[in-house]
Amino acid sequence: MRDKEIDEILKQAAQAPHNVDPALLDRVANSIGSSLRPVRPLPPIWVLAGGLTLICAIVALAGAARAGFYGIQALSVLERVVIFPVLGILIWLGAAAAVVEMIPGSRRRTGPGTLLAAGSLALLVVFAILFHDYRTGRFVSQGIACLAAGLLHAIPAALGSWFLLRRGFAVNPVAAGLVVGTLAGLAGVSMLELHCQNLETLHVMVWHTAVMPVSAAAGALLGWAARFRSFVNRRSAP
Amino acid sequence: MYPDCDLEMLMARYQRGDFAAATALIHRLSPQLHRFFVVQFTSRGHADDLVQETWLRIHEVRHTYRAGEPVLPWFYAIARHIRVDHYRKASRTAAREEPLEEMHASALSPPGSSRTPDLEALLACLPDSQREVIEMLKVAGMSLDEVARATSSSVGSVKQKAHRAYQRLRERLSAVDLSKGRTGELS
Repeated sequence: MRDKEIDEILKQAAQAPHNVDPALLDRVANSIGSSLRPVRPLPPIWVLAGGLTLICAIVALAGAARAGFYGIQALSVLERVVIFPVLGILIWLGAAAAVVEMIPGSRRRTGPGTLLAAGSLALLVVFAILFHDYRTGRFVSQGIACLAAGLLHAIPAALGSWFLLRRGFAVNPVAAGLVVGTLAGLAGVSMLELHCQNLETLHVMVWHTAVMPVSAAAGALLGWAARFRSFVNRRSAP
Repeated sequence: MYPDCDLEMLMARYQRGDFAAATALIHRLSPQLHRFFVVQFTSRGHADDLVQETWLRIHEVRHTYRAGEPVLPWFYAIARHIRVDHYRKASRTAAREEPLEEMHASALSPPGSSRTPDLEALLACLPDSQREVIEMLKVAGMSLDEVARATSSSVGSVKQKAHRAYQRLRERLSAVDLSKGRTGELS
Protein backbone atom coordinates (compact mmCIF):
# COMPACT_ATOMS: atom_id res chain seq x y z
CA MET A 1 0.00 0.00 0.00
CA ARG A 2 1.40 3.42 -0.96
CA ASP A 3 1.45 6.61 1.08
CA LYS A 4 -1.07 8.18 -1.31
CA GLU A 5 -3.59 5.45 -0.58
CA ILE A 6 -3.11 5.87 3.18
CA ASP A 7 -3.52 9.62 2.68
CA GLU A 8 -6.77 8.97 0.85
CA ILE A 9 -8.09 6.70 3.61
CA LEU A 10 -7.18 9.27 6.29
CA LYS A 11 -8.74 12.04 4.23
CA GLN A 12 -12.00 10.10 3.89
CA ALA A 13 -12.00 9.34 7.60
CA ALA A 14 -11.30 12.96 8.51
CA GLN A 15 -14.14 14.18 6.33
CA ALA A 16 -16.70 12.19 8.28
CA PRO A 17 -18.77 14.71 10.26
CA HIS A 18 -17.91 15.01 13.92
CA ASN A 19 -20.57 16.78 15.87
CA VAL A 20 -20.37 18.07 19.40
CA ASP A 21 -23.38 18.37 21.65
CA PRO A 22 -24.66 21.96 21.16
CA ALA A 23 -25.59 22.07 24.86
CA LEU A 24 -21.91 21.55 25.71
CA LEU A 25 -20.88 24.44 23.47
CA ASP A 26 -23.51 26.69 25.03
CA ARG A 27 -22.35 25.69 28.50
CA VAL A 28 -18.73 26.53 27.60
CA ALA A 29 -19.73 29.84 26.00
CA ASN A 30 -21.80 30.83 29.04
CA SER A 31 -19.09 29.99 31.54
CA ILE A 32 -16.53 31.95 29.51
CA GLY A 33 -18.91 34.85 28.91
CA SER A 34 -19.49 35.41 32.60
CA SER A 35 -15.83 36.31 33.17
CA LEU A 36 -14.98 37.82 29.80
CA ARG A 37 -13.00 41.06 29.93
CA PRO A 38 -10.18 42.53 27.82
CA VAL A 39 -6.72 41.16 28.53
CA ARG A 40 -3.28 42.58 27.79
CA PRO A 41 -1.31 40.15 25.57
CA LEU A 42 2.20 39.17 26.61
CA PRO A 43 5.01 41.43 25.32
CA PRO A 44 7.15 40.18 22.39
CA ILE A 45 9.65 37.39 23.12
CA TRP A 46 12.67 39.68 22.72
CA VAL A 47 11.35 42.08 25.38
CA LEU A 48 10.87 39.29 27.92
CA ALA A 49 14.21 37.70 27.00
CA GLY A 50 15.89 41.08 27.38
CA GLY A 51 14.29 41.47 30.81
CA LEU A 52 15.53 38.04 31.90
CA THR A 53 19.05 38.82 30.65
CA LEU A 54 18.99 42.06 32.61
CA ILE A 55 17.89 40.26 35.78
CA CYS A 56 20.77 37.76 35.43
CA ALA A 57 23.28 40.58 34.82
CA ILE A 58 22.02 42.56 37.82
CA VAL A 59 22.17 39.51 40.13
CA ALA A 60 25.72 38.63 38.98
CA LEU A 61 26.99 42.21 39.25
CA ALA A 62 25.29 42.87 42.59
CA GLY A 63 26.65 39.61 44.03
CA ALA A 64 30.18 40.35 42.84
CA ALA A 65 29.96 43.97 44.03
CA ARG A 66 29.01 42.74 47.50
CA ALA A 67 31.70 40.02 47.63
CA GLY A 68 34.40 41.83 45.60
CA PHE A 69 35.42 41.82 41.92
CA TYR A 70 38.56 39.71 42.61
CA GLY A 71 37.88 37.24 39.82
CA ILE A 72 37.72 39.71 36.95
CA GLN A 73 40.84 41.43 38.30
CA ALA A 74 42.72 38.12 38.24
CA LEU A 75 41.67 37.34 34.64
CA SER A 76 43.80 38.35 31.68
CA VAL A 77 42.29 40.51 28.93
CA LEU A 78 41.95 37.48 26.63
CA GLU A 79 40.20 35.50 29.36
CA ARG A 80 37.78 38.36 30.01
CA VAL A 81 37.09 38.85 26.29
CA VAL A 82 36.28 35.15 25.84
CA ILE A 83 34.50 34.18 29.07
CA PHE A 84 32.02 37.04 29.46
CA PRO A 85 30.72 37.13 25.86
CA VAL A 86 30.25 33.33 25.99
CA LEU A 87 28.30 33.70 29.24
CA GLY A 88 26.31 36.57 27.71
CA ILE A 89 25.36 34.48 24.66
CA LEU A 90 24.39 31.50 26.84
CA ILE A 91 22.29 33.73 29.09
CA TRP A 92 20.51 35.24 26.07
CA LEU A 93 19.83 31.77 24.62
CA GLY A 94 18.60 30.56 28.01
CA ALA A 95 16.39 33.62 28.42
CA ALA A 96 14.82 33.15 24.97
CA ALA A 97 14.28 29.43 25.69
CA ALA A 98 12.65 30.25 29.05
CA VAL A 99 10.23 32.67 27.39
CA VAL A 100 9.35 30.12 24.71
CA GLU A 101 8.56 27.52 27.40
CA MET A 102 6.02 29.92 28.92
CA ILE A 103 4.12 30.65 25.70
CA PRO A 104 2.08 27.71 24.35
CA GLY A 105 2.61 26.89 20.69
CA SER A 106 5.86 28.83 20.37
CA ARG A 107 8.60 27.65 18.04
CA ARG A 108 11.20 25.88 20.15
CA ARG A 109 14.69 26.28 18.70
CA THR A 110 16.56 24.38 21.42
CA GLY A 111 15.22 21.75 23.76
CA PRO A 112 15.82 22.29 27.50
CA GLY A 113 18.15 19.29 27.75
CA THR A 114 20.13 20.37 24.69
CA LEU A 115 20.52 23.87 26.09
CA LEU A 116 21.83 22.53 29.40
CA ALA A 117 24.21 20.05 27.77
CA ALA A 118 25.48 22.51 25.14
CA GLY A 119 25.87 25.28 27.74
CA SER A 120 27.81 23.07 30.15
CA LEU A 121 29.98 21.75 27.33
CA ALA A 122 30.69 25.26 26.02
CA LEU A 123 31.80 26.42 29.48
CA LEU A 124 33.96 23.32 29.99
CA VAL A 125 35.68 23.85 26.63
CA VAL A 126 36.28 27.57 27.29
CA PHE A 127 37.68 26.92 30.77
CA ALA A 128 39.85 24.02 29.55
CA ILE A 129 41.32 26.17 26.78
CA LEU A 130 41.93 29.28 28.89
CA PHE A 131 43.17 27.95 32.22
CA HIS A 132 46.35 25.91 32.57
CA ASP A 133 47.00 25.81 36.30
CA TYR A 134 46.54 22.14 37.13
CA ARG A 135 47.12 22.36 40.89
CA THR A 136 44.28 21.10 43.08
CA GLY A 137 44.93 22.74 46.43
CA ARG A 138 41.89 22.71 48.75
CA PHE A 139 39.92 21.35 45.81
CA VAL A 140 36.84 20.24 47.76
CA SER A 141 36.59 22.93 50.46
CA GLN A 142 37.07 25.85 48.05
CA GLY A 143 34.94 24.13 45.46
CA ILE A 144 31.99 23.63 47.78
CA ALA A 145 32.19 27.28 48.84
CA CYS A 146 32.05 28.37 45.18
CA LEU A 147 29.21 25.97 44.37
CA ALA A 148 27.22 27.25 47.34
CA ALA A 149 27.88 30.89 46.43
CA GLY A 150 26.87 30.26 42.80
CA LEU A 151 23.67 28.50 43.83
CA LEU A 152 22.82 31.21 46.37
CA HIS A 153 22.99 33.76 43.57
CA ALA A 154 20.95 31.52 41.29
CA ILE A 155 18.04 31.78 43.73
CA PRO A 156 17.35 35.53 43.28
CA ALA A 157 17.87 35.15 39.52
CA ALA A 158 15.30 32.35 39.45
CA LEU A 159 12.85 34.34 41.59
CA GLY A 160 13.25 37.40 39.35
CA SER A 161 12.73 35.24 36.24
CA TRP A 162 9.64 33.66 37.74
CA PHE A 163 8.27 37.12 38.56
CA LEU A 164 8.85 38.36 35.03
CA LEU A 165 7.32 35.24 33.46
CA ARG A 166 4.47 34.84 35.96
CA ARG A 167 1.81 35.72 33.32
CA GLY A 168 3.02 32.94 31.03
CA PHE A 169 1.66 29.40 30.95
CA ALA A 170 3.99 26.42 30.92
CA VAL A 171 2.45 23.46 29.11
CA ASN A 172 5.38 21.42 30.43
CA PRO A 173 6.32 22.71 33.91
CA VAL A 174 9.29 20.33 34.24
CA ALA A 175 10.87 21.61 31.02
CA ALA A 176 10.12 25.21 32.03
CA GLY A 177 11.70 24.62 35.45
CA LEU A 178 14.75 23.07 33.82
CA VAL A 179 15.28 26.04 31.50
CA VAL A 180 14.72 28.67 34.19
CA GLY A 181 17.07 26.71 36.48
CA THR A 182 19.71 26.65 33.73
CA LEU A 183 19.34 30.40 33.24
CA ALA A 184 19.56 31.11 36.97
CA GLY A 185 22.61 28.83 37.16
CA LEU A 186 24.27 30.90 34.43
CA ALA A 187 23.72 34.00 36.57
CA GLY A 188 25.47 32.13 39.40
CA VAL A 189 28.39 31.15 37.14
CA SER A 190 28.72 34.77 35.96
CA MET A 191 28.91 35.96 39.57
CA LEU A 192 31.65 33.39 40.28
CA GLU A 193 33.68 34.49 37.24
CA LEU A 194 33.49 38.08 38.48
CA HIS A 195 34.30 37.19 42.07
CA CYS A 196 36.36 33.98 42.41
CA GLN A 197 40.10 34.49 42.06
CA ASN A 198 40.93 30.77 42.11
CA LEU A 199 41.89 30.09 38.48
CA GLU A 200 42.93 26.45 38.90
CA THR A 201 41.66 24.57 35.85
CA LEU A 202 39.92 21.77 37.72
CA HIS A 203 38.37 24.10 40.27
CA VAL A 204 36.80 26.28 37.58
CA MET A 205 35.82 23.38 35.33
CA VAL A 206 34.21 21.29 38.06
CA TRP A 207 32.80 23.65 40.67
CA HIS A 208 31.93 26.74 38.63
CA THR A 209 30.37 24.77 35.79
CA ALA A 210 28.49 22.54 38.26
CA VAL A 211 26.34 25.48 39.36
CA MET A 212 24.43 25.28 36.08
CA PRO A 213 23.34 21.59 36.10
CA VAL A 214 22.63 21.63 39.85
CA SER A 215 20.47 24.72 39.49
CA ALA A 216 18.76 23.20 36.42
CA ALA A 217 18.01 20.01 38.35
CA ALA A 218 16.53 22.05 41.20
CA GLY A 219 14.38 23.96 38.69
CA ALA A 220 13.14 20.74 37.08
CA LEU A 221 12.31 19.35 40.53
CA LEU A 222 10.32 22.47 41.39
CA GLY A 223 8.52 22.21 38.02
CA TRP A 224 7.65 18.61 38.78
CA ALA A 225 6.41 19.62 42.25
CA ALA A 226 4.26 22.39 40.73
CA ARG A 227 2.73 19.94 38.27
CA PHE A 228 2.12 17.40 41.03
CA ARG A 229 0.51 20.06 43.23
CA SER A 230 -1.84 21.22 40.49
CA PHE A 231 -2.69 17.57 39.78
CA VAL A 232 -3.51 16.94 43.47
CA ASN A 233 -5.52 20.18 43.68
CA ARG A 234 -7.59 19.22 40.69
CA ARG A 235 -8.17 15.72 42.01
CA SER A 236 -9.40 17.03 45.32
CA ALA A 237 -11.59 19.70 43.69
CA PRO A 238 -15.32 18.89 43.95
CA MET B 1 -10.75 23.92 7.95
CA TYR B 2 -10.66 27.65 8.53
CA PRO B 3 -8.22 30.22 7.20
CA ASP B 4 -5.69 30.94 9.90
CA CYS B 5 -6.00 34.73 9.51
CA ASP B 6 -9.70 34.42 10.25
CA LEU B 7 -8.93 32.58 13.47
CA GLU B 8 -6.22 35.11 14.32
CA MET B 9 -8.73 37.91 13.93
CA LEU B 10 -11.25 36.14 16.14
CA MET B 11 -8.54 35.47 18.73
CA ALA B 12 -7.53 39.14 18.79
CA ARG B 13 -11.17 40.13 19.30
CA TYR B 14 -11.55 37.50 22.02
CA GLN B 15 -8.55 39.03 23.82
CA ARG B 16 -10.30 42.41 23.62
CA GLY B 17 -13.30 40.91 25.41
CA ASP B 18 -15.62 40.34 22.42
CA PHE B 19 -18.16 37.67 23.41
CA ALA B 20 -19.31 37.06 19.81
CA ALA B 21 -15.71 36.25 18.82
CA ALA B 22 -15.32 33.90 21.79
CA THR B 23 -18.54 32.10 20.85
CA ALA B 24 -17.46 31.87 17.20
CA LEU B 25 -14.13 30.34 18.24
CA ILE B 26 -15.88 27.85 20.52
CA HIS B 27 -18.23 26.74 17.75
CA ARG B 28 -15.49 26.55 15.14
CA LEU B 29 -12.76 24.80 17.08
CA SER B 30 -14.63 22.60 19.54
CA PRO B 31 -15.42 19.82 17.03
CA GLN B 32 -11.72 19.67 16.10
CA LEU B 33 -10.63 19.59 19.74
CA HIS B 34 -13.33 17.03 20.56
CA ARG B 35 -12.10 14.79 17.79
CA PHE B 36 -8.52 15.22 19.02
CA PHE B 37 -9.60 13.86 22.40
CA VAL B 38 -11.85 11.14 20.98
CA VAL B 39 -8.97 9.84 18.87
CA GLN B 40 -6.92 9.51 22.05
CA PHE B 41 -9.56 8.25 24.48
CA THR B 42 -12.45 6.93 22.40
CA SER B 43 -15.06 7.88 24.98
CA ARG B 44 -17.25 10.82 23.98
CA GLY B 45 -18.14 11.52 27.61
CA HIS B 46 -14.48 11.93 28.48
CA ALA B 47 -13.92 14.04 25.39
CA ASP B 48 -16.81 16.35 26.40
CA ASP B 49 -15.20 16.91 29.80
CA LEU B 50 -11.81 17.53 28.25
CA VAL B 51 -13.16 20.02 25.72
CA GLN B 52 -14.82 21.93 28.53
CA GLU B 53 -11.64 21.84 30.64
CA THR B 54 -9.57 22.95 27.64
CA TRP B 55 -11.77 25.98 27.00
CA LEU B 56 -11.63 27.01 30.64
CA ARG B 57 -7.82 26.81 30.52
CA ILE B 58 -7.74 28.66 27.20
CA HIS B 59 -9.85 31.37 28.78
CA GLU B 60 -7.48 31.65 31.77
CA VAL B 61 -4.38 31.97 29.61
CA ARG B 62 -5.78 33.75 26.54
CA HIS B 63 -3.34 36.63 27.09
CA THR B 64 -0.44 34.27 26.21
CA TYR B 65 -1.52 34.20 22.57
CA ARG B 66 0.50 36.72 20.58
CA ALA B 67 -0.97 38.40 17.51
CA GLY B 68 0.60 37.26 14.25
CA GLU B 69 1.43 33.78 15.51
CA PRO B 70 -0.48 30.74 14.18
CA VAL B 71 -3.56 30.06 16.29
CA LEU B 72 -3.94 26.29 15.97
CA PRO B 73 -0.58 25.35 17.56
CA TRP B 74 -1.48 27.55 20.53
CA PHE B 75 -4.86 25.80 20.95
CA TYR B 76 -3.46 22.34 20.42
CA ALA B 77 -0.54 22.90 22.82
CA ILE B 78 -3.06 23.68 25.56
CA ALA B 79 -5.37 20.82 24.56
CA ARG B 80 -2.39 18.48 24.60
CA HIS B 81 -1.45 19.68 28.08
CA ILE B 82 -4.98 18.90 29.29
CA ARG B 83 -4.84 15.49 27.62
CA VAL B 84 -1.48 14.62 29.18
CA ASP B 85 -2.77 15.70 32.59
CA HIS B 86 -5.86 13.60 32.14
CA TYR B 87 -3.80 10.64 30.97
CA ARG B 88 -1.69 10.85 34.14
CA LYS B 89 -4.77 11.05 36.29
CA ALA B 90 -6.37 8.12 34.49
CA SER B 91 -3.25 5.98 34.69
CA ARG B 92 -3.04 6.57 38.44
CA THR B 93 -6.68 5.94 39.23
CA ALA B 94 -7.53 3.05 36.95
CA ALA B 95 -5.82 0.32 35.04
CA ARG B 96 -5.63 1.22 31.38
CA GLU B 97 -8.16 -0.31 29.09
CA GLU B 98 -7.19 -2.67 26.31
CA PRO B 99 -6.19 -0.95 23.07
CA LEU B 100 -8.77 -0.87 20.34
CA GLU B 101 -6.86 -3.11 17.96
CA GLU B 102 -9.22 -6.07 18.25
CA MET B 103 -12.38 -4.13 18.81
CA HIS B 104 -12.07 -2.03 15.69
CA ALA B 105 -10.42 -4.44 13.30
CA SER B 106 -13.65 -4.74 11.40
CA ALA B 107 -13.94 -0.98 11.09
CA LEU B 108 -10.86 -0.78 8.89
CA SER B 109 -11.79 -0.70 5.26
CA PRO B 110 -9.28 -1.21 2.47
CA PRO B 111 -8.97 1.46 -0.22
CA GLY B 112 -11.77 1.37 -2.72
CA SER B 113 -14.27 0.18 -0.18
CA SER B 114 -17.46 2.20 -0.21
CA ARG B 115 -17.63 2.40 3.60
CA THR B 116 -16.04 5.51 5.18
CA PRO B 117 -13.35 4.27 7.53
CA ASP B 118 -13.63 5.15 11.20
CA LEU B 119 -10.78 7.52 12.10
CA GLU B 120 -10.49 6.37 15.72
CA ALA B 121 -10.28 2.76 14.62
CA LEU B 122 -7.73 3.58 11.96
CA LEU B 123 -5.43 5.34 14.38
CA ALA B 124 -5.96 2.95 17.29
CA CYS B 125 -2.95 0.84 16.30
CA LEU B 126 -0.59 3.80 16.69
CA PRO B 127 1.23 4.85 19.85
CA ASP B 128 -0.05 8.09 21.44
CA SER B 129 2.76 10.30 20.12
CA GLN B 130 2.31 9.12 16.51
CA ARG B 131 -1.47 9.25 16.73
CA GLU B 132 -1.52 12.88 17.82
CA VAL B 133 0.90 13.85 15.05
CA ILE B 134 -1.25 12.16 12.38
CA GLU B 135 -4.39 13.70 13.86
CA MET B 136 -2.92 17.19 13.75
CA LEU B 137 -1.43 16.77 10.27
CA LYS B 138 -4.23 14.97 8.50
CA VAL B 139 -7.39 15.89 10.41
CA ALA B 140 -6.69 19.38 11.75
CA GLY B 141 -4.75 20.19 8.57
CA MET B 142 -1.79 21.71 10.38
CA SER B 143 1.62 22.09 8.73
CA LEU B 144 4.75 20.28 9.97
CA ASP B 145 5.96 23.49 11.60
CA GLU B 146 2.64 24.02 13.36
CA VAL B 147 2.61 20.45 14.69
CA ALA B 148 6.18 20.93 15.91
CA ARG B 149 5.08 24.07 17.75
CA ALA B 150 2.04 22.36 19.28
CA THR B 151 4.04 19.36 20.46
CA SER B 152 7.12 21.36 21.58
CA SER B 153 9.36 19.34 19.31
CA SER B 154 11.36 19.81 16.12
CA VAL B 155 10.06 19.51 12.57
CA GLY B 156 12.45 16.58 12.07
CA SER B 157 10.93 14.72 15.00
CA VAL B 158 7.41 15.32 13.66
CA LYS B 159 8.45 14.03 10.23
CA GLN B 160 9.96 10.93 11.83
CA LYS B 161 6.81 10.23 13.85
CA ALA B 162 4.60 10.69 10.78
CA HIS B 163 6.85 8.37 8.78
CA ARG B 164 6.71 5.68 11.46
CA ALA B 165 2.96 6.10 11.78
CA TYR B 166 2.56 5.57 8.03
CA GLN B 167 4.70 2.44 8.23
CA ARG B 168 2.49 1.05 10.98
CA LEU B 169 -0.71 2.01 9.16
CA ARG B 170 0.60 0.38 5.99
CA GLU B 171 1.31 -2.89 7.84
CA ARG B 172 -2.03 -2.76 9.60
CA LEU B 173 -4.08 -2.00 6.51
CA SER B 174 -2.23 -4.61 4.45
CA ALA B 175 -2.89 -7.20 7.16
CA VAL B 176 -6.59 -6.34 7.19
CA ASP B 177 -6.62 -6.50 3.42
CA LEU B 178 -4.99 -9.95 3.48
CA SER B 179 -7.28 -11.36 6.16
CA LYS B 180 -10.32 -10.12 4.25
CA GLY B 181 -8.94 -11.75 1.12
CA ARG B 182 -8.45 -15.04 2.96
CA THR B 183 -11.96 -14.95 4.39
CA GLY B 184 -13.23 -14.36 0.89
CA GLU B 185 -11.30 -17.37 -0.45
CA LEU B 186 -12.61 -19.64 2.31
CA SER B 187 -16.20 -18.68 1.77
